[in-house]
Amino acid sequence: MQSKKTGPLVRAAQWATLATFATALTLPAAHAEDVIRIGIPVGLSGANSVVAPSVVQSAELAAEEINAKGGILGKKVVLEVADDGSGAAGAQKAFDSLIFQKKVNVLISMETSAARNAGLPIVTRGKTPFIYTSFYEGRSCNKYLYVNAWVPDQQVAPIVDYFAKNYKAKTYFLVGSDYAFGRGMLEFTRGYITKIGGKVVGEEYLPMDGSDWTSVISKLKAANPDALITSTAGGAPNVTLTKQLRAAGVKIPYGNLAVDEGTAKSMGADAEGIYISGSYFTNIASPKNQAFMAAMQKKFGANLKTPNDLSVPQYEGVYAYKMAVEKAGSTDADKVIAALAEVAFEGPRGVIQMNKQRHAPLTMYLGKVTKEGGVEVLETFKDVDPGEQCPKLK
Amino acid sequence: MSTLLDILTTAAILYSVCAGLLLVFGVMKIINFAHGGFLTVGGYSALLVTHLGLHPWWAPAFAFVIGAVCGMAIERLVVRPLYSRPLDAILATWGLGIIIGQVITLAFGREVQFVKSPVTGALDLPGGASYSEYRLLLVAVAVALGLTLAAVLEGTRLGLVTRAVIMNENLARALGINSGLVRFATFSLGAGLASLAGSLITPLSSVDPNMGVPWLVNAFMLVMVSGVSLVSLAIACVVLGGAQVLVSQWGNPILGGLTIVVLAAFVLRLRPQGFSRG
Repeated sequence: MQSKKTGPLVRAAQWATLATFATALTLPAAHAEDVIRIGIPVGLSGANSVVAPSVVQSAELAAEEINAKGGILGKKVVLEVADDGSGAAGAQKAFDSLIFQKKVNVLISMETSAARNAGLPIVTRGKTPFIYTSFYEGRSCNKYLYVNAWVPDQQVAPIVDYFAKNYKAKTYFLVGSDYAFGRGMLEFTRGYITKIGGKVVGEEYLPMDGSDWTSVISKLKAANPDALITSTAGGAPNVTLTKQLRAAGVKIPYGNLAVDEGTAKSMGADAEGIYISGSYFTNIASPKNQAFMAAMQKKFGANLKTPNDLSVPQYEGVYAYKMAVEKAGSTDADKVIAALAEVAFEGPRGVIQMNKQRHAPLTMYLGKVTKEGGVEVLETFKDVDPGEQCPKLK
Repeated sequence: MSTLLDILTTAAILYSVCAGLLLVFGVMKIINFAHGGFLTVGGYSALLVTHLGLHPWWAPAFAFVIGAVCGMAIERLVVRPLYSRPLDAILATWGLGIIIGQVITLAFGREVQFVKSPVTGALDLPGGASYSEYRLLLVAVAVALGLTLAAVLEGTRLGLVTRAVIMNENLARALGINSGLVRFATFSLGAGLASLAGSLITPLSSVDPNMGVPWLVNAFMLVMVSGVSLVSLAIACVVLGGAQVLVSQWGNPILGGLTIVVLAAFVLRLRPQGFSRG
């Protein structure tokens, strides 16, 4: 290649580029003290992509409400959303860039268990509080971690008890996605079923991105159980399994440990009759929930993604952080961590306080998906305790 | 009984997915790595049909036309200039696959979406069992597809010249056959068939920008062991697809996912011509 002298125009362009980069690098640092940055690593792509937009909307409403009332300690709240690709590799990048480049004050988000586990070491290294707002398999313990959603101890019993009582179910078949949540939930479920005198006649897993459930369904049909309980990754695997179950004509009682109301709606008629147990459904009749629904409706209108058991804890998590910072009087990580267990926020799901070994007692509901995609609440269980989660953490 | 049906329906799905790839490989001697992208195009065509409120029966036809049109444009603009450089052409199709995925992400977003199924529910079989109607329908579709392709290849002028190009392109050209036109037609047809297959698999699963990728590796291996014959492709789909179903059922589905790739590698090692007679 022939070497050429750089023309003045080219050189000017180079300087301009350099200047832009320099500004881009220095700007956030200059303003870091004036705002509170909330990092939201979430699965905008991959398995969680069905539910992630609703989570982001919840956080946006909370931030807007807080900023309208003067922010947190007089500082404006800014959200930093990063796609974690619903998996471990994406989560490492997302956590790394949020904590070390965006320098967020706190992480508040729902994620797959694979993503959470990959992110936790980075949280420890960055000494950043992390409020995890997704239901999960339980017993994830870290100095900087708080959880305001349910664990198996709170969720499995209502479904299994209901099947045993109303359908006289004795034999159960379990199906899951092959990752921490799927296996953890079903391990607990198997234990609980055995404890109440039932029997597990089969347990099958598919990789997280698997979509062909043919052989699992064949085994299910061969085992001929009284009831089916599934725990897949939220979103796509859940839908493909349900569609294929329906196409294969499986009609036994079907309890789903991982479906939320929004996903149920997107499945249409296939979701009808699924039993779900959760801490939030849109038709909870409390004034707080009605006010929340109205505010969401007003802010997002036609673009509103149905609020659900994964997005509402996100809204409450942002408020819990606000209260903890105000109680601690600063955003200092250690002080906020201590304060988080002491504050109680009344949100759409009721009064939530993360005072049980970093987890929260929750009111749980057993529901059944209706033809229209809504959820009919069959039974309510008040303030269910999360049980022993992190006994070693103060 | 249901195992047998699992094998048949799995083979049918694999056959539909592989047919387009095989045609392109036969005529152009390149593996079209954009095949996964065309499958995705088909999935989104089906999604468009759902959005437009048309009956889901329209999806396959719609997908075939969109896929074929995309194939025409891509053949003319990207693949044709690279005819004399087959390795570069393979690389180019690989890149194309990525580009198609990204364009779809821009247009439709990254999230997983769902398509209506033309038939739902299960068919009762003698003996009290039942089986998914849609999967059974796919067997009929795959057979029809195979017969149609065979009829085109064996019974039409286009088929005749295509077979001539597959056998010996230089000789065919010397005899006055416009092999460029044959390549153009085959690539477009291959893209159309891939897109058609994409629309056929969507009622069973979900639509997302990477939906074609998992199919690509299996399709590639199946075409490798089939040579360029539609008959040996059918055999390969039944044998290797059947092995996948059996391994998933007696072993577990995670091992099942590896079956086709591993077996195909063994077959090629022991019998380089695979399932074809040649």
